[in-house]
Amino acid sequence: MDVDLPGRPSTVKTLPGVPGLGGLYARAVLPGWPRLPGRGGEEPDDASLPEVTYRAADVVADPEHLVRYQRLLGEPVDDVLPAGFVHVLAFPVAMALMVRPDFPLPLAGMVHLANTVTVARTIRSDERLEVHAWARGLVPHPRGTQVELVTEVTARYGAGDAMEVVWRGVSTYLAKGVTRSGVGAGGSAAAPASAPFTPPMPTARWALDAGTGRRYAAVSGDRNPIHLSALTAKAFGFPRAIAHGMYTAARALAESGVGRAGAGRSGAVEWTVEFAKPVLLPSSVAVSITGDEASGFEYVGWDARRGKEHFRGHVTPGAS
Amino acid sequence: MPRSPQTPTTTPRPPASPTPDGREAVIVGGNRIPFARAGGAYADASNQDMLTAALDGLVARFGLQDARIGEVVAGSVLKHSRDFNLVRESVLGSALSPQTPAYDLQQACATGLEAVIGVSNKIRLGQIDSAIAGGADTISDAPIAVSEGLRHALLKASHAKSLGARMKAFASLRPADLAPATPRTDEPRTGLSMGEHQAITTATWGISREDQDALAAASHQHLAAAYDAGFFDDLVTPYLGLVRDANLRPDSSVEKLAKLPPVFGTSLTVPATMTAGNSTPLTDGASVVLVASRDWAQAHDLPVLARVVDGETAAVDFVHGHEGLLMAPVHAVPRLLARNSLTLDDFDFFEIHEAFAATVLSTLAAWEDAEYCRTELGLDGPLGTVDRSRLNVVGSSLAAGHPFAATGGRIVATAAKLVATRAAETGQVARALISICAAGGLGVAAIIESAADPSGQPGSGASADEAAPATGSDGAW
Repeated sequence: MDVDLPGRPSTVKTLPGVPGLGGLYARAVLPGWPRLPGRGGEEPDDASLPEVTYRAADVVADPEHLVRYQRLLGEPVDDVLPAGFVHVLAFPVAMALMVRPDFPLPLAGMVHLANTVTVARTIRSDERLEVHAWARGLVPHPRGTQVELVTEVTARYGAGDAMEVVWRGVSTYLAKGVTRSGVGAGGSAAAPASAPFTPPMPTARWALDAGTGRRYAAVSGDRNPIHLSALTAKAFGFPRAIAHGMYTAARALAESGVGRAGAGRSGAVEWTVEFAKPVLLPSSVAVSITGDEASGFEYVGWDARRGKEHFRGHVTPGAS
Repeated sequence: MPRSPQTPTTTPRPPASPTPDGREAVIVGGNRIPFARAGGAYADASNQDMLTAALDGLVARFGLQDARIGEVVAGSVLKHSRDFNLVRESVLGSALSPQTPAYDLQQACATGLEAVIGVSNKIRLGQIDSAIAGGADTISDAPIAVSEGLRHALLKASHAKSLGARMKAFASLRPADLAPATPRTDEPRTGLSMGEHQAITTATWGISREDQDALAAASHQHLAAAYDAGFFDDLVTPYLGLVRDANLRPDSSVEKLAKLPPVFGTSLTVPATMTAGNSTPLTDGASVVLVASRDWAQAHDLPVLARVVDGETAAVDFVHGHEGLLMAPVHAVPRLLARNSLTLDDFDFFEIHEAFAATVLSTLAAWEDAEYCRTELGLDGPLGTVDRSRLNVVGSSLAAGHPFAATGGRIVATAAKLVATRAAETGQVARALISICAAGGLGVAAIIESAADPSGQPGSGASADEAAPATGSDGAW
């Protein structure tokens, strides 16, 4: 039933269900947890990723949860799972992998650099999904060490029990200032593009108030303290709370309208985001979302006053 | 620039007016109350109060006491939920017969014009033989009850010492403050206010601050001159102590306007040019227009100023920046002209709603741009040039103010009187083109032409030699 894709470790650990992110964060930041740098724990100097695929089966969206997500992100309330909602459903499986004691990088303080999601077809809200997650691509980065978490969602097709991949996400993370001996066999990550950003004409403005992080935390389960309040964010070195990167990306996805179900649409879509400066809350984010349904949309968000880029990406219809 | 045309090439059809059996919708006249600045003379008047006052003024002007009108169609953009039957309630409170039916209509700033087009079509179909179309809007009354954000903005604005500070107070409004999209509020899908949207269009078309200020000054000067000449004597009825539009500044000048700081587009990479002076202020007011079949007008011994020839509504994709929010009339007009076999040169008057001075100037620039007209409007070349001496000749929204739903009625009545007066002077058919932009990327355009002569040949696309004896206007215009 499972396709053996390259890079996906064949050792599978099946979780009893999708874990709660809250518990995972607690494990990551509790004093003495060895993953937290500078807390006196022994820092592993491993150069390898755990050779295991985490799996959660029988994952079904809770209708009430779906509606809360759709309303917050501006998605239409219907029976289709937005690509960003599938991320919310599935990503904790990858997160569980990242808090394993043998995961080579500390979760706390990890920076989300980029995310790419490929949706193969419309996913209905009553589908019984299976999630697989594994890590790959541990490479040095000019500012530390980078790793990719792959999350794959499969669903049944046809009349039998055959499964097909319907959603695939690759999340790129940076452990800032962390170096691991032996990492680098796979080549170094590209240096971040340093072309100066010139704001285009905006097509929208997002007035993000101080509660933006708390509201997305409530629907995503991602209660990372850096998103919740200025006080908790300060503990992690941010002057104010910062918006979830995936909130900004998911809102751009919703506002593009690509990937929605509808006559003549397969729901197939590629949705990417690269994160630059974090969005400090509250904030007025200028956004440009340009393109059309047929060829897709490019989007970029920036600080309306300072002209500093926050994020950019694209939403393009995929082959059906 | 945009990548593909939004407007397919127009296939000309026969003129839409009159209907096969020759029925016409004629404009008998109009009435409005002077427009007040938000929080000003009409601070205690509701939409219903103002609409009723406008109706009663019309009743008095044309002797319609207890008359059963075929239908009254009007609306408000900012409306209480309790006012679900605003227009019917206003009719019941007016001197019209209580047997006069009514319904509410809402198409943002195009409400009044859309109402005129709608009732004209019913008249031409023979379903009704008389109608009143219009609208009312109050910033001062309606939204305070529904929105804390707007209440705060209004209070802040009322305490503000300068026009600019007042505008800034309204610029802080959020979509949640005000459900319908209106000027100084945010478009629900983009979070940008109408002014910010226009600022992008203004920058795209390179409209200069000087040109905007010149248009704004001209609007004030034209409106003041028209009042002085008595043009509005039979179009406006004083209300709550106001006899002229409170926003009118007869002494407005380019020099004075040049001193105002920009309020929109200040975070763009190009210099901001839009000020409180070259943008319309938030305003309270109401207006109505009496439309009828020619037979009905004659039977009631009423004048005929003009006839409603045709109307066209367009919408543009502004959400992802393909087109400017307020550019829909730019698309509606070529379609309307093609259907009626007319060009811009066939018009004596252009009434282009001044949401912002830059809106008018962007519209004119677009019609002169060959590349834009080809790629976006599906034309062979530029639509043409609007003769500035025929544009908003008795002032428009920058001077009069813009109570959203009331603007259409103001413009239609004004245009009807202009063409009637011109036809009386020249003995030839005079024609006006009306264009109103609206929130949501909407725009409505309409053609009206003088129609005083019952024996004239309605529907003529180019009947320059048609005799049109003067009736229906005793003004100096």
